[in-house]
Amino acid sequence: MDYVTTLKILVIGESGVGKSSIILAFTTGDYNTAFPATIGVDYKMKVMEVNGVKVKLGIWDTAGQERYRTLTSSFYRDAHGAILVYDVSEPKSLAKLQEWVEELQVYSTKKNIVSLVVGNKIDKPRAVTRAQGQEFAQKHRMLFIESSAKTKEGIELAFEELVQKIIETPGLWETGPTNSNIRIGDSEEARRQQQSSCYDYTCTI
Amino acid sequence: MNEEIDEYDIYHQDFTTISEWEVFIARIEEVLNEWRLSKAKIPKGNLEFTKKWIGKSEEIKFQSLNFTLSYHTLECELNTNPLKDNKGVEGGWKPSTQLHNGIWEATKNFMDDEDGSPFPVSHWYGLKQYLMLYPSQPLVEENQIKLVMSSINIAFANIDCAVPFFLKIREHWQQCFLGIYEDSEFKTSFDTIHLKRIPNQCSHLNGLANLFKGKIASPVSLEPVLMSAKFSYELKDLEPFVWRPPSQTNEFLSIDGFDVEKLIELPFGAEKNPIQSALLNVMWPRFLENAVIDSASYSDFDPLMAPTWTITIKLRENINCLLSDLVGKMLDLLDDNHLLMDTLGLSRSLGILNPLHKITEAPITISKLVRAAMGSTSVSEFKGPIPDDLLMSLLYYIFPDAVDDDSHKYPEDLQVEMKQSDQEPKLCSAVKSSPAGGLVRRVSLVAARLLEAGGLPYLAHLWYEFTQELQYRWERRIRVPGVAAGPPGARSCLLHQKLQLLNCCIERAGVEAGAGGREGAGGDSDDEFYDCSEEEGEEETCERPAAAGRQERLDDAVMKNGAPLYIPKTQEPPPRTEDQVAEDAALLEAQGGGARGSALRARLLSASLLSDMEAFKAANPGAELCDFCRWYSPRDWRPEGGGALGERMLLPGNPWSEAWAVARPVPAARQRRLFDEQREAQQLLQWLRARTVAGVAELLLPGVLRAGAARASAAGATGGAGAAGSDTRRVLTAAARELAEAEKAAARAGAARVVLGGAAEGCPLEAAARARLLAAAGGALPPPARREFSLRVRDAGGAGGAGAPHVLRAALRQDLLLAGCFTEAAVLL
Repeated sequence: MDYVTTLKILVIGESGVGKSSIILAFTTGDYNTAFPATIGVDYKMKVMEVNGVKVKLGIWDTAGQERYRTLTSSFYRDAHGAILVYDVSEPKSLAKLQEWVEELQVYSTKKNIVSLVVGNKIDKPRAVTRAQGQEFAQKHRMLFIESSAKTKEGIELAFEELVQKIIETPGLWETGPTNSNIRIGDSEEARRQQQSSCYDYTCTI
Repeated sequence: MNEEIDEYDIYHQDFTTISEWEVFIARIEEVLNEWRLSKAKIPKGNLEFTKKWIGKSEEIKFQSLNFTLSYHTLECELNTNPLKDNKGVEGGWKPSTQLHNGIWEATKNFMDDEDGSPFPVSHWYGLKQYLMLYPSQPLVEENQIKLVMSSINIAFANIDCAVPFFLKIREHWQQCFLGIYEDSEFKTSFDTIHLKRIPNQCSHLNGLANLFKGKIASPVSLEPVLMSAKFSYELKDLEPFVWRPPSQTNEFLSIDGFDVEKLIELPFGAEKNPIQSALLNVMWPRFLENAVIDSASYSDFDPLMAPTWTITIKLRENINCLLSDLVGKMLDLLDDNHLLMDTLGLSRSLGILNPLHKITEAPITISKLVRAAMGSTSVSEFKGPIPDDLLMSLLYYIFPDAVDDDSHKYPEDLQVEMKQSDQEPKLCSAVKSSPAGGLVRRVSLVAARLLEAGGLPYLAHLWYEFTQELQYRWERRIRVPGVAAGPPGARSCLLHQKLQLLNCCIERAGVEAGAGGREGAGGDSDDEFYDCSEEEGEEETCERPAAAGRQERLDDAVMKNGAPLYIPKTQEPPPRTEDQVAEDAALLEAQGGGARGSALRARLLSASLLSDMEAFKAANPGAELCDFCRWYSPRDWRPEGGGALGERMLLPGNPWSEAWAVARPVPAARQRRLFDEQREAQQLLQWLRARTVAGVAELLLPGVLRAGAARASAAGATGGAGAAGSDTRRVLTAAARELAEAEKAAARAGAARVVLGGAAEGCPLEAAARARLLAAAGGALPPPARREFSLRVRDAGGAGGAGAPHVLRAALRQDLLLAGCFTEAAVLL
């Protein structure tokens, strides 16, 4: 295990804005002109280096369809970061992002989760100005970036910025690679993790 | 000079006959040199100091004695450069001046204050640096003291030490120190005397003044002696200030007097008085010797007329607090990995060892217990350690709907609190909550108090009855009360989620029973169907006789074939608790990150999609995938030619078209169910029964901690930001620690407030505060618990300003502590 922590990243937004493509571009560097619509949720993993520390990213890709809201929202638990994607060629996808912000507020469990707004598909004819995207991100106090999964523009940077911000947020993440959010049932193991962490475990009330 | 080196000229000396004493002195010198404490080497100038004491130490042996030699100094301000004042040094700055001024300034304080240094000498004499030789065994013999002290004198002189040097003498509990400081002009000696009884001439100020002047034995007349006095009175024993322990009883356990109010009232506060001492200090800060008469027979000191009154409070370091004890007992269980039901020897009969084994024993429920209490004949039931009457009261408190008594009903509207964003941090806010006043809180509190009262068997018995009652409710389709409505939400604690899920099961099973539909829920599971009522669309016409399971029209949309497009009735996705979601996530994650993994995940998750497609086909006969997309995923539908698929839906082998191809037109009502409430409920109940001790504690602690936090907040305790995290136990432990700190702080503050009233500690009291204290003391102050006098005078100043100081400080309780410091000018012949 050569990474210091595992971070859980959610990618959410309307259907067809390019969430899966962004993740594919980031994790493999590939681009498919067409990509089957995600069913439910999908998962990708990548180890990334930020500020000289290696972190493992567990990236949860979600389906954007209304019918999947219940399923996808149950995966928001314990996420460290969220990427909210809209399509710059589709104004409705930005307008709808408001609903996703609310969704995130209701179902995310960490109170200082870091969010990044991504305006995707800047290779296409633009129907949403950069200022509109900025305004949205500013209103919700989120990071903002524009990208193209097709040309890879902004993709790497988007994840770097997000992870950097998460690492800089005190109390949001823990050291010791835990197996995503699954707690190992063996209490010895749990104890050892506690001891190796930054928390002082010696105090017993 | 002849530079040739003759081998006999090489410096040599024979140390074989050196005495142990010489070795001892040499060792002290060696250490002092190493620490660079000679006057030549120590930084000079007017250094700025912080208030933090730092130090270093070395072990030294002499004969059979072990000493610790330590150097203590206030930390220098980082930004002061010792060299910048070099001029100042030449221009008259002398270490002895600094020492003398320090000694003089220190007399403004009293001996019982503290400055944070390990030994009181720095405070008594206003020192910023000192050396201390501390014997591991008390140094009581006069000969030994003299020998060691002369060693110090020699070492001090040999290296021209720049720092006062002290020796701890007498018993360790006696604050007796001898010390010296010497330079070319002055020699200062520090001396302490401790007497267990106060001799007559020292019991009053005039006697002490005579002693002081006799000790100085100045050949020339001195300036008048400056004095200060401080009388201290113990306050904590005064009737209005007497500390009373918080009432804490197990009274709720008594059968006749069971009182839920007593049960839910969590204990809070310290077990013992958090105040070690609370002193009223009456002070006369400065007067001249001839202004006051204080002799054995008469005293001018009238505390009521004293210019300054202050209160000082000393708090106990370690206090046990009641709420923390309660929480701590439950927290201790987190290490116990035995099955809780083993405590009662019930694991086997409950089928916990073998989860597939059917539950053989009939559940004991409230109704059965009631029957038993009424004298029914069925008595083969398990008998736990908690007396029946008490148990019934507790169960009725947790399940108030089981009895016709409205006194403990749950509130109508139970909400899980939203997570706070930027408000001030609340105690234990990192711990997941459950609705305040809800069932989880009640069962957690009852469990915690039973654990305290009767240990693990009581807890196990309660848990047993609790799970049996849940089983009974499941079988009879009676909702669990005091639980927030709706599917499990990840915001609430796991136990609450489990109960929400159980209620979902109960509701669904109830709907089913109400519909009077199928029977044989335990039959072939393949034949289980989801039951939603099977009303057909009203405007059903002859065009598509096969249509079934319509919900409503999708606006005025039509299908590619021109027929109106209907939204079908669908199965809701199954409710999941957070541990189940975590299992799902682990399973999905385990498929790997590649394209193959994605395909497998799509397969695992396509049950819902397939169900929706089948319902859609049933509601919309003749529908195509593009019609389905128009409803389900509008961005993948295009209007061209009455309806077409978007690019990605046309990809060969994409899971959507594959699922569409196999979907049969089946309305939701006749589909295989996605959520099997029978299996779900049975698993859940067995899961609750089969918890380990630690597992149950983990389920109950959030409720206990949140209730404790509410109790602490009500008592005025405030909290910091607890550690949030995904590791439940770590969060619980951190929250418990946070709560314990808050309770301790609140207990101390509360106790201090009783004594202080509105006044601030250590500050001169206003007239009203003085009157309040006097009234509390019954109009007159009791005899002082401690008196302290400080006497000081300076030699007539030489050319350089103020002369050398002489100080005598006396602290009188039952015993007498005299600390003196006298300076002689070196006579230059």
